[in-house]
Parts: sequence; C-alpha cells; structure tokens
Amino acid sequence: MQPIEERPLRVLLAKLGMDTHTVGVTVIAHALREAGMEVIFTGLKQTPAMVASAAIQEDVDVVGVSTLSAGHTRSLPTLARLLREAGAGDKLLLAGGVIPEEDRPLLEEAGVDRIFTMGADTRDIVAYLNQWRATRREERD
Amino acid sequence: MDVARELLSGNVLAGARAIRWLDDRDRRGAQVLSSVFPHTGRAQIIGVTGPPGAGKSTLANAMITEQRRRGRRVGVVAIDPTSPFSGGAILGDRVRMARHTLDPGVFIRSVGTRGHAGGLSRSTHDTCLILDAMGYDVIFVETVGVGQDEIDIVALAHTTIIIGVPGLGDEVQAIKAGLMEVGDVFVINKADREGYEATRQQFELMLHLREEARPADAFDWSPPLLPAVATRDEGIAGIIDATDRHGSKLRDSGEFARMSGRRERAQALALMGEEMLRIAMERADAEVLSAVEARQIDPYEAARLLVHRLSPVQEE
Repeated sequence: MQPIEERPLRVLLAKLGMDTHTVGVTVIAHALREAGMEVIFTGLKQTPAMVASAAIQEDVDVVGVSTLSAGHTRSLPTLARLLREAGAGDKLLLAGGVIPEEDRPLLEEAGVDRIFTMGADTRDIVAYLNQWRATRREERD
Repeated sequence: MDVARELLSGNVLAGARAIRWLDDRDRRGAQVLSSVFPHTGRAQIIGVTGPPGAGKSTLANAMITEQRRRGRRVGVVAIDPTSPFSGGAILGDRVRMARHTLDPGVFIRSVGTRGHAGGLSRSTHDTCLILDAMGYDVIFVETVGVGQDEIDIVALAHTTIIIGVPGLGDEVQAIKAGLMEVGDVFVINKADREGYEATRQQFELMLHLREEARPADAFDWSPPLLPAVATRDEGIAGIIDATDRHGSKLRDSGEFARMSGRRERAQALALMGEEMLRIAMERADAEVLSAVEARQIDPYEAARLLVHRLSPVQEE
C-alpha cells in the first residue's frame, strides 16, 4: 500500500467526436487511478468548448482527449485555443486514439503537448505524467 | 491574479483555483477563504443523498434544469470515493450532467473523498463557501452512495433530499437507521418501476413513525414523500417546490442563519481537532513509542504517557 498522495494530480479525460468507443479511455482512467491520480471523466461526444469549460471548472492539471473519428485536426487546435483564451493554457494537453503520423506537426504546433497513439502502454503514460509533474513542481517552488 | 477578488466577481477560473487550494490543503486556500468569508451565508445548500444506484446524479441533473428555469445560478459539488489503496479516484458524475457544461449559470465540481469518511470529502464545506461567495444561489451537494450512518451531509446542508428506489429489497432497512431520521424531502426515484407501491408504503410508515417521535419544540416541518422519474424529468418541479418551501421556512424562522452558524462552529472544531492531532503526532515521545514497540508497556499505558508528555503547544 503506497501512502495517500496529499495533492493528487487531477486529470480530465474526455471523448471528442462522435464515436462511442470507450475501451481505451476506460483502461487509461483505471491506470491513472491506480497511480494515485484523480480522474474526471466527462463522457462521450464532447465538443472542444465543453471540454475546455469542464477543465476550467475542475481545475485539472492535465486534459486528456481521446479521438477516434477524425476531425481531430480541427477539434484539438480549437480546444488548445479555447484553453489559452480562458487563461488556462498552462494545463498539459494530451491526445490519444487514432492520429496519423502526418498530423503530428500540425497538432504539436497548435498546442498539443503529447500524443499517445493506439497501443501506447499505460505505464508510459503514467511515467510521463509523473515526470511532467516533477519538473513542474521544481519550476513552481 | 487576485483570486479572492476575482472569484467574488464570479470569475470561474479563480473560483476553481481556490477550491483546488482548499482541497489540497494549500495554505493559500485558507487565505482566500478568510477574504471571502464575509460574503458567504446566502446560498441554500441542498444535500442529495441515498444508496448507490438510486440515481443521485441523474436527479441532480434534472434538478439543475429546474432551478435554472426558476432563474437561479447553481453550483454543484459531486463527490465520489477515493481508492483507499492507491489514493486515486475516478470521478464520473459529470457524465450525467453534461447538458449543463456550457451554461455559465452552472458550476460543477467533482471531488474525491480523499480518505474522509461520512459521505463527503474533507473539502466539501470549503467548496460550498467558495461557490456561495461566487454568487451561486443554490448549491447541490451530491454525496457518495451512502448506507446507514454516512450522514455528514445533514450537518452541512440546509435541506437534505433522501433518494430511494423501488426494488432494492432491504434498502429501507438499510437507510432507516440514519437517513430516515434526518431527511427533509424524500424522493422515490424510478417510480415507474415495479415495486414502487411497496417501497412507498415502507417509506410512509417510516416517516409516520418519525413524525410521532418528533419533539414538540422541533422545527415545524413534515418531510414530503415524492415520486420521480429523473431520466424523463418527471416529478422534478414538485421536488424543487418542496426544497423552496423548506428554504423559505428556514429563512423566515431564522433557522437558516442558525444552521449556518452551527455549521461554521462545527467546522472550526473539526479544523482544531485536525491541527491538534497533527501537532500531537509530530511531538509523540519517541521513548514511549519504543517501549510499546518492544512490548514493555501496553498501548493504553503508552497512550496515557504520550498525552502526559506532550510538550505545551506554542503559538506559531
């Protein structure tokens, strides 16, 4: 039993787009919970505006969106812009799902911090988040 | 950003940050709370509780819609359990409230219990104060699914709604000990289901017995029992009529302010207890602890000595 984290990382997980595949996002939610994080799930068929609004109300550190139905080259940059405009551009923005290699530069340019595609190991995602958090703490302190 | 001033003018980003600080026990949270505290005490806090699967989130979702129809700004605190093993949590109550995500008159916050027992999180009280200061007229607090004695919500809320559903068998048995004695409005959700009539009769009997046992000087309120089908928004106006009536009666009688005062008093005592425990743990005498670990003295004797040897607490 690991000690309970006094200040757990808060992560919003959302599904952008019209698909209804929840297996991937469910697996990630459980992995993050097991790693001691608070996962806020907002459900299916979310728009970028809904995700941004929920991320702000919940004051999460990380916004993770899963997208499997194309449209991500528009929806993800929109989400990044909405967060920035609302003064919440410091949140880590992660994307997952089906994202073709050739879309990466555009998304990274638009403000997506990291892309985990199909088959990504949940342990890698947890390790990445813990590392991100450690460096951010140093910056803050 | 001046978080306190911004949240008082309704800035969502600022309010959300203040709540995070309070939940994380970041000392900036207490500072913000001190600044905004004089602006609190207006909102009606409505507890929404019941056993797991009763439809608390779905009912809360429908009640938000009805409150908005009546022109009120609504805050929501939705509590889910934190895993005692990992300290993590999956907070999924927002899924059923998604239709309110883009409404600027609604603020929804999901919180984990973070080791707190009693059906609430340790920060629920503070979160309600922040939402109150932000100008939300009504604050719904949705507890974790509760059983018999997780009734902290009653001390926090002005008005507590207890939700039951048909067909859970011993459900009334399970909730009667604690919840039946304290609810202000009773709702049987999923009232279109088989077994509704039997459940209604059980609830009525319990409420009747409670009414009989009510002391003559108690607050004059007979809890209504109302049917609802939250998924179809049925019966919701009737529930809000009841919570409105209860709220008016509390305000008119002066009980509203007295309840809020008692709540702050209890919170002060709880915070004192927490702080004293922390200090006592830090100063626990190592010699005594070694002795009990070596089984030279028993735990009762050790505890007596530990208290006895506590050095006086200095004002920091």
